[in-house]
Amino acid sequence: MRQWGTGAALLLAACCVIGLSHGKLSPLPRTAADESYLPDPAMAKLTSFGFDALLADFYWLQAVQLLGGPEGARGKSHRIGALVDLVTRLNPRVDHPYRFAALWMTDDLAAVHKANVLIQRGIEAHPDDWRNHFHLAFNYFFFLGENQRAAEVLATAVVLPRAPVYLGRLAARLRSDRGGLSAASAFLATLLQGAEDPQAREAYEQALQQVETERLARVLDRARQTFRERHARDIVSIDELVTVSPSVLERLPPDPFGSGWDLNKEGVIVSSGIGYRYVPQIDATNRQRIRQTTEGRTSGG
Amino acid sequence: MSKRLSVIAVLAGHTLRDAIRNKVLYVLLMFALLMIGMGMLLATLSYVERDRILQDVALSSIRLFGAAIAIFIGVGLVHREIDRRTIFTILSKPVSRADFLVGKYLGLVATLWLMLAAMSIGFVGVSLVADAPIGPSTFAALGAVGLELAVLVAIATLFSCFATPFLAGCYSLGFYLIGHITRDLRAIGEASDSEMMRTATAWLHRILPDLESFNWTIEAVHQLPISTSEFAWAAVMGVAWCVAFLTVASLVFERRDLR
Repeated sequence: MRQWGTGAALLLAACCVIGLSHGKLSPLPRTAADESYLPDPAMAKLTSFGFDALLADFYWLQAVQLLGGPEGARGKSHRIGALVDLVTRLNPRVDHPYRFAALWMTDDLAAVHKANVLIQRGIEAHPDDWRNHFHLAFNYFFFLGENQRAAEVLATAVVLPRAPVYLGRLAARLRSDRGGLSAASAFLATLLQGAEDPQAREAYEQALQQVETERLARVLDRARQTFRERHARDIVSIDELVTVSPSVLERLPPDPFGSGWDLNKEGVIVSSGIGYRYVPQIDATNRQRIRQTTEGRTSGG
Repeated sequence: MSKRLSVIAVLAGHTLRDAIRNKVLYVLLMFALLMIGMGMLLATLSYVERDRILQDVALSSIRLFGAAIAIFIGVGLVHREIDRRTIFTILSKPVSRADFLVGKYLGLVATLWLMLAAMSIGFVGVSLVADAPIGPSTFAALGAVGLELAVLVAIATLFSCFATPFLAGCYSLGFYLIGHITRDLRAIGEASDSEMMRTATAWLHRILPDLESFNWTIEAVHQLPISTSEFAWAAVMGVAWCVAFLTVASLVFERRDLR
């Protein structure tokens, strides 16, 4: 009986110590403390001892979880790139991860270039899949402003199985350098149609909405120019396009964001829902960088 | 000759009956089936290619637990018989040591293949429930796992002839791990500037069993075609390795003092 009592007391004490230790230790996995560490793909393949496909899944799930936070993929392009690189080297036959990289690696120019390298590897692994070509073309057109290269990539996709018939028209439009908003719209609509996750759908829907907003803002820009010519002055508010007689517009087009049109601090017509004008490339800093790189190459010979 | 074959068959049958009574095997099998089922849960963490993740996890579990069972039952092959002193009764009859070893080996392979069949049924069942693709590549990959496990039991049998079960387990595990990286080592060696490194890694690939020849997980999961000749050559190589390991094991076992 005494032995049972001692045993029970020891068990209780042990349980208390375990409970106390749990309270003192972090419940997070140790890897979270050093998120930056990822093994070299060649070393990971070697040490997977034939379980490379399983290891690829492990890193793929890590990549997917990165989108789970409130900030989504913002600021995580390079981490996503490293993870997708690892996944695709461990199992080159994976399908979606290549496009996942193209979709979410858009933080800066270096990330887009790295995504292009990954999607090109995807094209090598799945040469008959038109979607990888399409994503690569989209990156060239949308983020890098390289319409000719985008057209070349699309032209190779036209003949692939199940490729939509309009790819040829889109390539021709890009080749003739009439890319612009309609091409962006066509690209985004196709991507939206094939989007496999809700976050990607949301991103494409927003981008499409921005393209549509820009199209309507350009209509207003033209109306503003007509107003200047007719009244020899600029508008003070957007409403003047409709209210000042003779009016240049019967009514203002509806703002896709639902919040109405406004003049920003620089006097540019914007949707008050987003507050800026849409540019179909990453951002001004990157375009500046592209220009500098191109100029550097030209002057360098 | 037919008498030798019947002796081997009797020994194999006895080993199979003995092995399937081992409760540890059922625990390992249960864990394997649990892991195969876990694949369904893990797959839900991804929004795409769930089939791939499910089948990757399931096939890897089959390979991992299959290897664990192969090593577990293989390393105790001789030791268990000496421990129970049954080996003396058997060898006092007109049964050669080589026949004893081959009979025991075949019984263990049959046990393993039964376990593999149970795990494969679990795999196919889970795949059907999840609507994941099942095709010729799936069955070829499962068949190749069977070949790999047969080679692994032969390796474990060899080590069980002269080492304690613990050491034999360590050696077999070492062979299993290195058998899966000799291809990669060779590729690394080929990229090296050193001629010695290139030759060494190429030889290592030749003289050690290349267990990656039996790993068709990626082909099975992505339903890629596996050529008949490739499968046939892998099978030929597997059988040759089994014969080689069993021959060495017989030679070692012949000289072993069992007292």
